[in-house]
Amino acid sequence: MSKIMTIGWTEYLSAVRSKAFIIGIIMMPIMMGGSLIAKYLSESNVDLQERKFAILDESDGMYELLEAALEVRNSEIFETVGEKPVQGGMPGLPVLSDGSSDGAGSGSEAEVTWEPGEMQEKRQVKPTFSMERYEHDANETRSPELVLSDRVRSGELFAFLIVGKNVFEPDRKPKDYVNYHSASPTYGDLPKWIKSTIQDEVETSRFQSKNIDPELVKDMKRRVNFDERSLVEETVEGEEIGGEEENDFESYVIPIASVIMLFMLIMMAAPQALNVVLEEKMQKISEVLISAVSPFQLMMGKLVGTVLLSMTLSAVYLGAVVVATHYFEVESMVPGRIYAWFLLFQLMALAIFSSLFAAVGAACSEMRDAQSLITPGMMILMIPMFFLGVVVESPDSTLSVALSLFPPATPMIMMLRVAIEPGPPMWQLILSVVLTVAFTAACIWAAGKVFRIGLLSSGQAPTMKKLIGWVFSK
Amino acid sequence: MNAVRLSGVTKNYGAHRAVDSLDLSIPTGSVYGFIGPNGSGKTTTIRMILHIIHPDQGEIEVLGRKETRASNDRIGYLPEERGMYKKMSVKRLLTYYGTLKGMSKRDARRVGVEWMEKLGLEAWIDKKVEALSKGMAQKVQFISTVISAPELVILDEPFSGLDPVNLEVLRAAILELRESGSTVIFSTHDMTMAEQMCDSIFMIYRGKKVLDGTVASVRASYRADTIRLKLSGGRSVLEGLQGIDSVNDMGHIQEVRFSGDSQELLQRLMAVTAVNHFEITEPSLHNIFIRIASPEPEDVAHV
Repeated sequence: MSKIMTIGWTEYLSAVRSKAFIIGIIMMPIMMGGSLIAKYLSESNVDLQERKFAILDESDGMYELLEAALEVRNSEIFETVGEKPVQGGMPGLPVLSDGSSDGAGSGSEAEVTWEPGEMQEKRQVKPTFSMERYEHDANETRSPELVLSDRVRSGELFAFLIVGKNVFEPDRKPKDYVNYHSASPTYGDLPKWIKSTIQDEVETSRFQSKNIDPELVKDMKRRVNFDERSLVEETVEGEEIGGEEENDFESYVIPIASVIMLFMLIMMAAPQALNVVLEEKMQKISEVLISAVSPFQLMMGKLVGTVLLSMTLSAVYLGAVVVATHYFEVESMVPGRIYAWFLLFQLMALAIFSSLFAAVGAACSEMRDAQSLITPGMMILMIPMFFLGVVVESPDSTLSVALSLFPPATPMIMMLRVAIEPGPPMWQLILSVVLTVAFTAACIWAAGKVFRIGLLSSGQAPTMKKLIGWVFSK
Repeated sequence: MNAVRLSGVTKNYGAHRAVDSLDLSIPTGSVYGFIGPNGSGKTTTIRMILHIIHPDQGEIEVLGRKETRASNDRIGYLPEERGMYKKMSVKRLLTYYGTLKGMSKRDARRVGVEWMEKLGLEAWIDKKVEALSKGMAQKVQFISTVISAPELVILDEPFSGLDPVNLEVLRAAILELRESGSTVIFSTHDMTMAEQMCDSIFMIYRGKKVLDGTVASVRASYRADTIRLKLSGGRSVLEGLQGIDSVNDMGHIQEVRFSGDSQELLQRLMAVTAVNHFEITEPSLHNIFIRIASPEPEDVAHV
């Protein structure tokens, strides 16, 4: 045992002292927070280039209606930014007065003044839209579409609109279309705005033509207040609690984030087992080592090193989560049991995948061979990730239960189910742990056999069939 | 008392028989040399003695037990293909190997330093392995094998690539191990070294034992059919002389295998050239090795 720990500890120290470890620690939050950073960057770098379009209006008055709506829209593309002066609190946040800072209104909400001060400025956050009317010259031999398309191609216009003659007609008639032409089909803001504005104007006009008050219709079509709420529970004091509005963050983000984090932690540590074993083999260190320890001890030592490495990463990230939830006073969002299950599943997944990876490392003599031989292992590791959406949607479906009881997928899928309220029944949890522990033991046993034979093999990488033969050899 | 005993050991790799019905006894406290051409089964035999690989048939007993493994702390093993962690310091490396052999960290560090001083490497103890020359690295590897004072030391080609100075240092260190009571097995291609150092020699050829015994008994088992010559006329004088079976030309000296009357040969040679040296002797270990391992005429014909 002490030899295993000696190898594990040496392995661990070599890993954490490397630059790759430091980079890895920083990379994961960057990858996970990448979308947030991209969003932040895109907000501060919005494309504000003016979008000009032409209208060939064959209808009765669509141009004027759009022109009026455009004026309103262009006045709403600014937002006030900067710090707002607030008394006695964090800038930008309204605060409750404790009654000591100002004599008046003790115990009541403090008056928050939002006067635009010197620190505020108006900033344009959306591009301006502009429009021009197109009148088709009777002497022009080309069609209006072609003329306008050429102007778009020359960069003079961004897009153009052909409004059919009968667009306002309440009954179906020919020429009741609106065609939007542009060379930038991926730009959605302009066509979206035009479409909704025209839809509103046309609906209003149609109601009016049938003597229906559009305001009345709007009232009638008012959306029902539909809230998703949690169950209500009775406390021992007889008080009813719960029934709060469901929080998307708690329902989706925490389960998904915990599984992605689990996946990343395994991806960061398990391939390490392959790399170190293969490197030792390539540098002819392996035989020196097995003159001091048995191949099984060597493999277990590598496994311990990988677990220590991954647990260190885990301690850093979970520690950050604990600190963050404590700081923002939302500890209840991530209950203690989630941390406990996370660590247990992490341990089991590491044991399964690190032993397999170490065995592949021992069986190969070149990195290229190892990479192709490890592909099935990587697939098994990744498959649960493809099912995250399905399991989040219905965590108790037959598929979800079956996946979570399939040992290679258990760590990820069961972690997901545990993180979604109310969690799986206890018998499923216990069964999944028993099955995964048994599977882990089988993996370590099989990997040990491959490791022992593979370590002294040289030359061509073994085929999958040969590897299986090694597992069942004497 | 034998440190190692093999009886009827056979190992096959697929259709190839690497070791064939091998019997061998290595007495405790001896220095035993394994010789044989490349690919003849030396390393396989050593790996089987260490239980790194298992024989298909036969029985192996090491230090009185049948299940003694390489990982046993009483054995030190220096494999033929050896590498070291390039980025580790020598001190850390030796401490690591020492602790893997069951030593405490403190003891491993202390003994490591002692050995480094003994082999004249004390200035390199804090350097990284990648900074060592080939000879130095080989000596550090030797230290890592013997740091835990094992009872049985197995060295696969310990002298390959060493310059004469380092070779002498390592030879002295190995003999010192014997003085302290360890059994030493080493394989080598250097016959002179084997002849000088080993109490006994074991030669394996094509998986079979072809020689086993003390150097003197091995040499005595060959007739005194070798004549060592130093002739002014050189090798060309020997051409066409009757009774000469083979000539091993070593430059200034020729070794001749001769069947017939040696005095008659001397007279014939004196008639054509000046004979500076004429010695009737047993064949050297080198010669015996070559005689056994030379490709037979039919082998050559197949190439």
